[in-house]
Amino acid sequence: MRLIKTFFAVCVAAAMVPVALHASSGAPVLPEQSWSHTGIFGSYDKHAAKRGAQVAVEVCMGCHSISLIKFDQLRALGLSEVEVKKLAEVQGRSKNDRMTSAMDETAAKDSFGVIPPDLSLITKARKGYEDYTYALLTGYPSEAEMELVKKVMAKGAISEQDALEVQSALLINAHDKEQMKAKLERLVGGANFNKYFPGNFLAMPAPISAGSVQYADGTDNSLKQLSRDVVTFLAWAAEPTMEERKSLGFWVMGYLFVLTILLYAIKRRIWAKVH
Amino acid sequence: MSTIMEWIDKRLPVTELIKSQATEYPTPKNLNYWWNFGSLALTVLIIMIATGLFLAMHYKPDAALAFKSVEHIMRDVNFGWLLRYMHANGATFFFIFVYIHILRGMYYGSYRAPREILWWIGVVIFFMLMGTAFMGYVLPWGQMSYWGAAVITNLMSAIPVVGNDLVIWIWGGFSVADPTLNRFFVLHFLLPLLVFGVVFVHLWALHAVHSNNPVGIDAHDDKDNLPFHPYYTIKDLYGVGVFLIFYCYFVFFAPNAFLEADNYIPANPMQTPAHIVPEWYFLPFYAILRSIDFLGSFSKLAGVIAMVFSIAILFILPFLDRSPVRSFRYRPLSKQLFWIFVANAFVLGWVGYNPPDASLFSGAIPLILIGRTSTAIYFGYFVILWLVTALDIEKPRPVPKCL
Ligand code: HEC
Ligand code: HEM
Repeated sequence: MRLIKTFFAVCVAAAMVPVALHASSGAPVLPEQSWSHTGIFGSYDKHAAKRGAQVAVEVCMGCHSISLIKFDQLRALGLSEVEVKKLAEVQGRSKNDRMTSAMDETAAKDSFGVIPPDLSLITKARKGYEDYTYALLTGYPSEAEMELVKKVMAKGAISEQDALEVQSALLINAHDKEQMKAKLERLVGGANFNKYFPGNFLAMPAPISAGSVQYADGTDNSLKQLSRDVVTFLAWAAEPTMEERKSLGFWVMGYLFVLTILLYAIKRRIWAKVH
Repeated sequence: MSTIMEWIDKRLPVTELIKSQATEYPTPKNLNYWWNFGSLALTVLIIMIATGLFLAMHYKPDAALAFKSVEHIMRDVNFGWLLRYMHANGATFFFIFVYIHILRGMYYGSYRAPREILWWIGVVIFFMLMGTAFMGYVLPWGQMSYWGAAVITNLMSAIPVVGNDLVIWIWGGFSVADPTLNRFFVLHFLLPLLVFGVVFVHLWALHAVHSNNPVGIDAHDDKDNLPFHPYYTIKDLYGVGVFLIFYCYFVFFAPNAFLEADNYIPANPMQTPAHIVPEWYFLPFYAILRSIDFLGSFSKLAGVIAMVFSIAILFILPFLDRSPVRSFRYRPLSKQLFWIFVANAFVLGWVGYNPPDASLFSGAIPLILIGRTSTAIYFGYFVILWLVTALDIEKPRPVPKCL
C-alpha cells in the first residue's frame, strides 16, 4: 500500500509539472510585475489608468482600436467631460463614439501586413496577462543593446562569450548560434525585434519610448512609467466590472461562511442522536 | 390548509410521494461524504440551467456577433459578468463532481447488482454532459472555441465510408462556420434539459434499489437506515454550503483560472493557434485519442474508437467485476488497482495538456511513450480487475454482517 501511495503522489505531482515543461520550451520567462488590481483585494490604480488612457488614445490608437469601450466611459477613471472630448478629438471621434482607431483596416493591412489587434481584451488574451503586455512594451532592444548587437555582428563569427552576452541581453537561446545569427541579421536589417514576442519578430515597431507622451500633471514619462500606465488602462478596459465583482464577492463569501458554519452546527446536532 | 391537501391527495397523492420518496425515504446511516457528490452534481446542474437561461436571453448565436455579445453580457447586462462566470466555472465544478461521483461508485462497487441500470443511466448522463460542455465551449466563438470545434468535429471524418459526408452534415457547410455555431447553440440549450429529465430516471432507478453504502452490503430496514429527512437533507445542504464557498471563490476572485487566454481572441479561421488544448476535463480522453498513433492510416479511427471506448467501457464494468464482495474497502488488490487507476488519470490529463511532441528530461522520454503507457494502464485496470476477480486471485477480507 505504501508503494501505491508513493506512486499516487508522484503521478499527481507529475500532473503539476506543465509549468516546468513549458518554461524549458524556449519562451523567455516574463518578469513578474506587481499591479494594484490583481489579487483578491486589488482595485485599479485610477490615476495610472487615467494617464494610461491618454497614452492609449494618443499613441496606441494610431493603429489599434479599443472598440469595446466608449470614450464617455473614460469618465469612470476620473476624466472630466472636457478631457474626454479632447481625447476623442485626437482620433476624430466624439464622446459617445466607441474607441475605434482613425486608421482603417485596409490601410493598416497595407502598411503592416496584419491588422493590429483590437486591444479591448488584450490583457486577458495572452498568457502572462498584464505582465506580458508590459514586457512587450518594454521588450524592444535599447540603444545599448543595439550597440552590442552591432559589435557582435561586425566580427563575423559569434564567439561563445558573445553568444552568452547576447543571450542575457536579448533573451535568445545561446545554444543555437545559427538561429541567433539569423535573428541578429534581421534585427540589424531593421526588422522589429522584441524579447518577449513569441518568435521575436512582429509587425509593430516599438510604439512608445521615454517622453513620447507629455502628462499634464508632470508625472514622470519614462518608458517604464508610460508602459505601466497604459497597461493599467488596458487591464481596466478588459474588465471594467472587476471592482464590482470583487466587492460583491466579499459579501457573498461572508454570507456563505456564516451559512455553512450554521449548517454544519445543525448537521452535528441532528446526527448526534445517531450512534 | 390540511383540507386543501386532503382534497389534492385524493386526486394526486403528493403527500404520500413526498413521504415515501423524500422525507421518510430510507437511507443507509453509514454513508460518508463521498455520497454528497450526487446532490452536488444536481445542484450544479440547476445552477447551469438557471444561469444558462438568462445568458441565452442576451447571447447572439451568429458568427459575426457571438464574441461581442458575450462581452456585451460581461459589460452592459446587469450582473451579466456574474451569470457568465457562474456558468463557465459551473462547468468545471460539474465535471469535478461527476468524476468524484463516478469514482465513488467504482470504489464502493455501486455499479454491481442490483444497480446496473442506475449505473448505465449515469454513464449516459456523462456522455450527454460531455456533449453539452463541448458545444457550450464553442458558443463564445473565441480562438479555442473555433479550433477546438474544428479538431473534434474533424475526428468524425475517421469513420469509414460516411465520415467525410457526416462532418459536412454536422458543420452545415465545408468548415466550422455560422451554421455550426447556430446549431450548437440550439443543442446546447436542449441537451441540459434532457439531462435534467434523465437525472430523474437516474433517481427513479436509485429509489427502486436504494443507495449502496461504504460497507457494500444491503441495508436491513430499521437499524441500518435513517429517514432521508432530516439526516441527509442537512448533510447534503452542508455539502452545498462548502461547495458554494469554493465555487464563489473562483467566480468572484479567480474567474479566469480555468479559461484559456486564447479564447479572448475572436475566432479567426485563417490563423491556427500555436497549441490547441481542450478544456481540462477532456484532457485524459484527448491523451488517449492522441496516443494511438502507431497504426498508420488507421491511427485516427483507432484513436477515436479508443477514446469513446474509454468511457463506454463503464457500461460493461458491472459484468467485469466478479468479486463476491462489493466494496473495495474489503478488497486489498482491487483497492490498489483503483488508486493506480486514479493516479494514472492525472498522468493522462497531464499528457493531454502538453504538446504531442514534448518530452521529459530533454528528449530522454518522449511524451507519446508516457501517453501510450498510461492508456494501456487505463484499459488495463478493467482487464486486470476482471482477471483478479474472475480467477479468484483476490482474497477479500471479512465483511461486517450489518452496518
Ligand atoms: C504603428 C502602429 C502601431 C502602434 C502605434 C501600436 N501598435 Fe501595437 N501592434 C501593431 C501591429 C501591426 C501589431 C501586430 C503585430 C504582429 O502580430 O506581428 C500590434 C500588436 C500589438 C499587441 C499584440 C502582440 C501579440 O502578442 O500578439 C499588443 C499587446 C500591442 N500591439 C500593444 C500596443 C500598445 C499598448 C500600443 C500603444 C502604446 C501599441 N500597440 C501601439 C501596430 C501598432
Ligand atoms: C448530471 C449528472 C448526475 C447527477 C445530477 C446525479 C445525481 C445523483 C444523485 C442525486 C444520486 C443520489 C446521491 C448519491 O448517491 O450521491 C445519484 C446516485 C448515483 N449515481 Fe448519479 N448523478 C449524475 C451522474 C452520474 C454518473 C455519470 C454516474 C456513473 C457513471 C452516476 C452513477 C450513480 C450511481 C451508481 C448512484 C447510486 C450511488 C450509490 O448509492 O452508491 N451518476 N446520482
